[in-house]
Amino acid sequence: MKILVSFDIDGCLETGDPPGPITLDMVRKAQSSGCIIGSCSDRALSSQRRMWDDNNIVYDFVSPKYALGDVMKQFEADKYIHTGDRDMDEMFAKKAGFDFYWEKEGAEEPWLAMLEESKD
Amino acid sequence: MGKMSPVPDEVSKPFWDACNEGKLIVQNCAGCKGNDGKDWLQHPPQAACYKCGTTENLTWKEMNGRGKIHGYSTMYDSRIRSLQEDQPFIIAVIELEDAPEIKMFSHLPGTPVDDDVPVGGTVQVEFQDTLGTEQKVAEWRVVS
Amino acid sequence: MASTEMFPESRYRKTEGLGVWEHRGKVAIVGLGNSPTSRRWDGTLETSLGAWTMLAAQKALDEAGITVDDVDGVIACDKGMGDDWGGDASQGRGYFEAPYDSEDGLSGVSAHWLVKNMGLKNVKMTYHAPGCLSTALVAAAQAVGDGEAHTVLVVRGTGNMPGRYHQTPGNTTGGNGQWTNPWGWQLIPQIAFGFDQYCRTYGKNHDMMAPFILNQRRNGSMFPEGFYYQNRPDDLQITAEDYLASRWICKPMNMNDCDLPIQTAGAFLFTTAERAKDMKKKPVYVLNHVTQRGVVRSSLETMAETEEFSAHIARKCYEGSGLTASEVDVFNPYDGFTLFTQWFLEGFGWHGVGKGEALDFYAGDIRVEGPHPFSSSGGNNGNGRTRWWGHYDTVQQLRGEAGDRQVQIKHETGISGAFTPGHSDWLVLGTSPD
Repeated sequence: MKILVSFDIDGCLETGDPPGPITLDMVRKAQSSGCIIGSCSDRALSSQRRMWDDNNIVYDFVSPKYALGDVMKQFEADKYIHTGDRDMDEMFAKKAGFDFYWEKEGAEEPWLAMLEESKD
Repeated sequence: MGKMSPVPDEVSKPFWDACNEGKLIVQNCAGCKGNDGKDWLQHPPQAACYKCGTTENLTWKEMNGRGKIHGYSTMYDSRIRSLQEDQPFIIAVIELEDAPEIKMFSHLPGTPVDDDVPVGGTVQVEFQDTLGTEQKVAEWRVVS
Repeated sequence: MASTEMFPESRYRKTEGLGVWEHRGKVAIVGLGNSPTSRRWDGTLETSLGAWTMLAAQKALDEAGITVDDVDGVIACDKGMGDDWGGDASQGRGYFEAPYDSEDGLSGVSAHWLVKNMGLKNVKMTYHAPGCLSTALVAAAQAVGDGEAHTVLVVRGTGNMPGRYHQTPGNTTGGNGQWTNPWGWQLIPQIAFGFDQYCRTYGKNHDMMAPFILNQRRNGSMFPEGFYYQNRPDDLQITAEDYLASRWICKPMNMNDCDLPIQTAGAFLFTTAERAKDMKKKPVYVLNHVTQRGVVRSSLETMAETEEFSAHIARKCYEGSGLTASEVDVFNPYDGFTLFTQWFLEGFGWHGVGKGEALDFYAGDIRVEGPHPFSSSGGNNGNGRTRWWGHYDTVQQLRGEAGDRQVQIKHETGISGAFTPGHSDWLVLGTSPD
């Protein structure tokens, strides 16, 4: 099973302002488990790229919040997930056909359980 | 569109009552003329004439219900909660054919949200339901 | 001192034909102070608007080399631009022990709150000014000129509470909202509509704003008091691609055309030109102050009205100060929505910019090192939402203390103001009282 996970930054990732509950280690774990990972945020694209680079994470995509649909077109996956802390995140995720998880739900790493289940 | 319902006050009640009856009226000061020599009309209605400051000559005048799209912007992130589900939506500025100095707003029902909103195009008034009460509001549909 | 009156409307300089300001050069700004900045209030009392306003005020006093006992007047813009704290304990947002037992000190800071909590025991005059620190600044200039007080602190705390900013809930709307809210017409669509009209009229487009935005951020990268400098230096390095890719708020206005709500407090210290001579900082003299309260013909401000309001502000600034457009060195008009800054540039005719020419002007050299250092503060766009960075920068530029932002052209006069063409307040400043 291939899962694409998109992370909002502010209020969601630990690098955000305010910091969110999802740690970069969780992101690394998702990636090492085979997930396609990247960010989808109101932060500037260059700022998103810099955040990943500064933390030595090789991201698959960065995107403005409204362009999740373009991310879906770019990557083939069985499941598309966006996690964020705002109703705007939820709205854009649903419009683009992503499953949406609030940041606290994202911090429980639901994608890992999905991958585990898919092995059974 | 999830439009909030206007709550009429003493000054605005005749305007909103007229909307419920399918009529578009605008306040008129019978004692004043505009710079062009035409009737002095004003909207939104006010307690006194905007020009002479008096109240005794204030009446209402029915408009022909046609207008022109003066301009617009397209809302993607409104603060109005009841409209957020319908984003993005057009907010057009309509100028009345009878009184171009009078401007009203419209979501341009039936017009797709894109960059081809026909600025300068002719619109016709209609009256739409709102969310909170039985109050109707003026809306405008492109006719050419 | 339990309450404070509003500064009387009759004392603002609103109309043309008033002649040169009667106190031209007799009032000076002698102190500036700004608290730290943050994106949102973190809920600790040490970073509340009250605490930060006192901090900013103390810095302004320290700059001038005077103490709290020297202050005899306070003018505050007493409400911040963010939402209220709310004081609802059931939501986990109860009030605190005094002096944080009400909104005062949390979502805004009143003059009497400052007097009491800062121990300003010699204050005999307090006023409030609505909406904008600019309004309080022009009130202070007039109050000191009139001799009502001799040393006046002007303050504002403006904050950003946790949660989503400024939402309008409900299914009904009364008052002025009955004419606008059913369609979602508020300030943002007004500004976006105005810019769209501007582009249609003059054959311009939104992409042409990019050089101005990037330059505002660049100026912000040289403004140590600013939010981005302190908290998000990455956002000062945005590229044209970033700007053009940012999401629409109300097309043609995107996210980077809007300022970022922040938590901070600022203070300006005014005194008489006579007293200023004995203070530490080089005085910056007030040559005029102007207030604009435009009245529109119908439901919104048309482009013709916006252009006339902007020109009207400029004429009043020039008339009361005796300056002409070519004599204005530093120019810091408001940019809280970047899509209205062109009206000011063209209305004032700064550096010869005429109607429909601002966006082409942005494509030229507007760097602080260059010949046309427009908006040298970086404004709200480069520093976060306050509405006072322009004034702050103009004072620093005229002192020659703007650091890396110091303009290289002559810097003896300056104009700064906020907020819109229809509703704003302006200071004309100079290094000389004459």
